[in-house]
Amino acid sequence: MKKEGEIFVVHRLLDEQILDSDGKRCGRVDDIELRGNPPRITAVLVGEALYPRRVPRRLRRLARRLAGPERWGASALRVPWEKVEAIDAALHLCCKAEELGLGEGDDPERWMVRRLPWN
Amino acid sequence: MKSILKIALGIIAALGGFLDIGDIVFTTQAGALYRYDLLWAVVLGTVGIAVYAEMCGRVAAVTGRPVFDVIRMRMGFGLGLVALVASTFVNVLTVAAELGGLAIILQLLFDAEFSLFVVLAAIGLVVVVALLPFGGIERVFGYCGLLMLVFLATAIHQGPDWGEVAHGFVPSLSDSKLYLYFVVGVFAAALMPYEVHFYSSGAVEEGWDESNLRENRLNATVGYALGGFLACVLVVVSGFLFHPVGVDPTDLGTTALPAQGAFGETGLLLALGGILFCVGGAAIDSSFAASYNLAQFLGWEWGRYRGPRKAPRFTVSWLLILFAAMLIVLTGINPVEITEYSVVLAVVALPLTYLPILMIAGDRSFMGKHANGMVSRTLGWVYFAVIVVLSISAIPLLLMTNGGGG
Amino acid sequence: MKTRRRRPGVTAGLVALGVSLVLLSASGCGDLSRDELNRGVESLSALAAQGELIANGVARDATKSTYTRVMAKTLGGEAEHEAEKLADAEPSPEVSRERDTAVRVAGKLAGLYSELQTFPGDERRGALVEKQMGEVKEEADAIVARLTGEPAP
Repeated sequence: MKKEGEIFVVHRLLDEQILDSDGKRCGRVDDIELRGNPPRITAVLVGEALYPRRVPRRLRRLARRLAGPERWGASALRVPWEKVEAIDAALHLCCKAEELGLGEGDDPERWMVRRLPWN
Repeated sequence: MKSILKIALGIIAALGGFLDIGDIVFTTQAGALYRYDLLWAVVLGTVGIAVYAEMCGRVAAVTGRPVFDVIRMRMGFGLGLVALVASTFVNVLTVAAELGGLAIILQLLFDAEFSLFVVLAAIGLVVVVALLPFGGIERVFGYCGLLMLVFLATAIHQGPDWGEVAHGFVPSLSDSKLYLYFVVGVFAAALMPYEVHFYSSGAVEEGWDESNLRENRLNATVGYALGGFLACVLVVVSGFLFHPVGVDPTDLGTTALPAQGAFGETGLLLALGGILFCVGGAAIDSSFAASYNLAQFLGWEWGRYRGPRKAPRFTVSWLLILFAAMLIVLTGINPVEITEYSVVLAVVALPLTYLPILMIAGDRSFMGKHANGMVSRTLGWVYFAVIVVLSISAIPLLLMTNGGGG
Repeated sequence: MKTRRRRPGVTAGLVALGVSLVLLSASGCGDLSRDELNRGVESLSALAAQGELIANGVARDATKSTYTRVMAKTLGGEAEHEAEKLADAEPSPEVSRERDTAVRVAGKLAGLYSELQTFPGDERRGALVEKQMGEVKEEADAIVARLTGEPAP
């Protein structure tokens, strides 16, 4: 699918898997930034900090307390639309995940898994 | 020719890997309580998992999406999260049940403290996963699971009245709540969703595309049919030996008794070995299914082939799930009870993961010409109705029959 | 700070309800009804049937001793548990004699299992235990028959 033109935002973009230029999975589209009139997509947003606002209204307070940025120190990352190369079964970026700060949770140093025997 | 051999080997592995502790517990108890009367429920459940697995495999091959990718896409974050939490809860219980089963069998073979074997079993699984190449694990457990064929030999040796056995394949309902509970249990044990989630993630890991659709169809039809056949054999064997004398198989070890009766110590060892490998393989599948689901829903890097360095969160969550399961078994709850709860709760959570797959498998904008045809669509929706009915009645039946205790 | 206060009447009502529920359940568990006794004896019969099969393996030297030992330990524990449960319960008068018989049968069953556990490789004892397990099962079935008024199978 081309990234120009019209897109069913909720059907084909929201919640989609993001892959960087190396094909590494680095998060999902947790929210979308729209600007202008008629609205155009300017960026997709990624990060645990966005989860609380994705749950039903009544549960949001609880969700924020359990998983919100105050607790996990997470902030949302912004992926500018120019960095999106194509959308098929996933959203492909035209740059590496590290350049945008994506996929840091999968940094092996962070998890001390470097020495596990089945690398 | 080579591909046919590969498919055949895959089916043999699937046959050995079909049975898990849920099937073993529920089929043995169903046979002991109702002789051959519940055979039809085994068939119903087996066709159910074939329908579900075929759709998931097809979606994975055509769109490259495993189950929880589809769930997040189709159901969104909120409802998808409910499906994730429910599935993870059930999966952890299932891993606990399989671990407990492993420990029971090890105890029967080597007679030492139960909790020691629980810890050893968990460590053993980590070692197996760390040392064996991933493609090999399923094959090894699958082939060794074929030891369960000793039960087929047992059935033939026992020589039951095959006419009576055949009669069991005719569906029958009764107003006994315990009977209905076992209908739900036997059905749900055959249709454990973790098997399908594991299967579809594996298909994505192996890079399946449209050329694998035939393999997928054969796995789902022939593979699961043979697996279901083995589950039926367990019902027959138990129904023949236990039903007339009124044995209530509350212990996993009891399942092996018919093989001992027919073939002595050799039969006993083959049966215990078969159960060991079936349950061990299922422990690996269910624990990986749990971390696949988490990683896919949250967009983490995942995959057994990638190794912990490339997919650290996936690996760490796998270890944590195994650890949590180990703690559950160490509380001393009877693993057979954990099994019953995991199976019954699995069917409660099933509609949440089944519906999105059914929807996307029928969606031409995703599936093109491989979207559900007439047969798949009808079967798919019929089974959705069956699953919803069973899922609604599961908890009341569990409570009313006191967990199958009568 | 805003707190919601319950009216005292409601609180008292809730407490009364709770207390009566506790009393109700406490009084319920002391009384061993015909039904409960029946269920207990039926599970004794099932345990004896299983014991017969296990002892048969020992008698034919067709089993592994660790298997026999662990199974005997588990199932013997269940028999003992059943014996304790029956002995502790306050039977309703019409079933009190049957209760006593059931406790005796359960004790015998636990004893047989402990014999299997101690001598999992002794064929002669195995054969003897197999026979006795059969007798225990008959006794249990006879109790069930008396309790339900149906002839033993």
